[in-house]
Amino acid sequence: MIEEKLAYMSIAEQAALIKKKEISPVQLVDAYLGRIEKWDGVLHSWITVCADAARRDAKHAEAEIAKGNYRGSLHGIPFGAKDQITTGEIPTTMASIIQPDFGEGMTATAVDRLLQAGAILLGKNNLHEFGKGSSVNFHFGEPKNPWNIAYEPSHSSTGSGVSVAAGLVSVSLGEDTGGSIRGPAWANGVVGTRPTFGRVSRYGGIMYAWTQDTIGPLTRTVADNALVLQTIAGHDPKDPLSSTRPVPDYGKQFTEELSGMKLGLVTEMSVGQELHPEVARMLREALEVLKSLGATVEEVSLSKAKYAVPLQFLTSDCDVASVFVRKWLRKHWAKFDVGTRTRIAAAALVPATIYARAMRGRALVRNEVLAAFRKYDALIALMNFVPPLKLEDSVEKIDTNADVAARMFKSRRICTYPFSIANVPAISVPSGFTAEHVPMSIQIAARPFDETTMYRVAHAYEQATEWHRRHPELEKTVGPALGKAARQMAGAK
Amino acid sequence: MELSKEDVRNLAKVVELNIPDADLNTVALRLSSLLLLMDRIEKEIGDELDRVDPIPPVYPREEF
Repeated sequence: MIEEKLAYMSIAEQAALIKKKEISPVQLVDAYLGRIEKWDGVLHSWITVCADAARRDAKHAEAEIAKGNYRGSLHGIPFGAKDQITTGEIPTTMASIIQPDFGEGMTATAVDRLLQAGAILLGKNNLHEFGKGSSVNFHFGEPKNPWNIAYEPSHSSTGSGVSVAAGLVSVSLGEDTGGSIRGPAWANGVVGTRPTFGRVSRYGGIMYAWTQDTIGPLTRTVADNALVLQTIAGHDPKDPLSSTRPVPDYGKQFTEELSGMKLGLVTEMSVGQELHPEVARMLREALEVLKSLGATVEEVSLSKAKYAVPLQFLTSDCDVASVFVRKWLRKHWAKFDVGTRTRIAAAALVPATIYARAMRGRALVRNEVLAAFRKYDALIALMNFVPPLKLEDSVEKIDTNADVAARMFKSRRICTYPFSIANVPAISVPSGFTAEHVPMSIQIAARPFDETTMYRVAHAYEQATEWHRRHPELEKTVGPALGKAARQMAGAK
Repeated sequence: MELSKEDVRNLAKVVELNIPDADLNTVALRLSSLLLLMDRIEKEIGDELDRVDPIPPVYPREEF
């Protein structure tokens, strides 16, 4: 029970104990490794676990701290990285079976900055193949939602969301092109940030949607999220599109109230849509909390937001295809998952004239989003119009026209893609649960490079609610499946 | 635009992609749906598309 309490603590709480030497990084790493060993046979949130290296690094951190060389709040804190983000000699599989390692020895700048801060790499998190969010079959096991394994854990940075929610690590780095950080944060009840494009170096991420890809943190609290973003953000000469703007102290702006804050509720991404009753209730309650904190909330229409999903597929997917076709798709078609290969193939066949028109469309969507920020400090939207789906309904299997509407242009994408193609920062914050104990979230977006305001609103909301204090009871939610998984493994042998 | 499996097969030849028959229908569905949606966007805001530069929002800097 002590280990469980430790595992679900925020980074801030763990760091305070480490600093006071009341726990050691070795204890923390061992606690997580024990939980991974116990639960991940069902949850499938990890592809590689670096147990020996993590224990070695934890002992090193322990010795440094004992000598009085405490580096700061991430010293001795274990982290994971979506297995699309390179980590030196530790392989980066992309959840693909095409080749064992796509990393070519690189270490992503975001990973390097966490290591410099004294954080300990625990391993690489499972994902949808190549981070495309369209996997039908999973080469490294299908990730499961720790709150209720019958429901989806969302797409792409899935293992990152699952492992943080299940108390298998303190933080994980994810990657968000269209919603790949925010989606798993939403479905697993954790905090996930897509930073402004250019805020965090893309160097070392194996990702080719060059106008939209971002790396950001998934954590159990907003304060932890801000701490990690602050550590990984900032200019990097290895990424020519990373910003030279100074990185603010996000935590300094945290307040318990939001007096004077003007928030715009995007109708096309919330009340203007047909909402599931539980989502509608959750949104009403979340808005009441924001108002009670002193913020004013007005509805704002982004009439072009509805174009964001096809515009992203017709542009960013084509950028990805321009690399994938030559490098892998021609040679290894059969080794790709059917969802990934058919999605990339469709993008490869988009005529250049349509790509260019879609890029113009993206500029219009972005202009509309930026115009809203001239009136509002932050924009509020849902993460989805429905709660997380049953696992079988969430798979992007496209066999009929009906599948296209239901699975390809699904509502989670309608909620996240507009902020993605506008390249503004956006955060998914836990905001309630369904009757089936599945999490739901609201989304908060801010002006480009104004993560400070985004975090301020998110933190005040979080502190006024209790959702971040809830954690899945794995004995109840995952425990019954453990025996089944063990029997299946024994049968396979 | 609704594309047939044969259309997709021919388009794929342009990029030297040999799509197996079993996957042609899915690729045709995916691509057709995207092109249909772009048709709709053109009908609704085509004139606006003509008047905006397609600058990627990536905040480039000028070194010199």
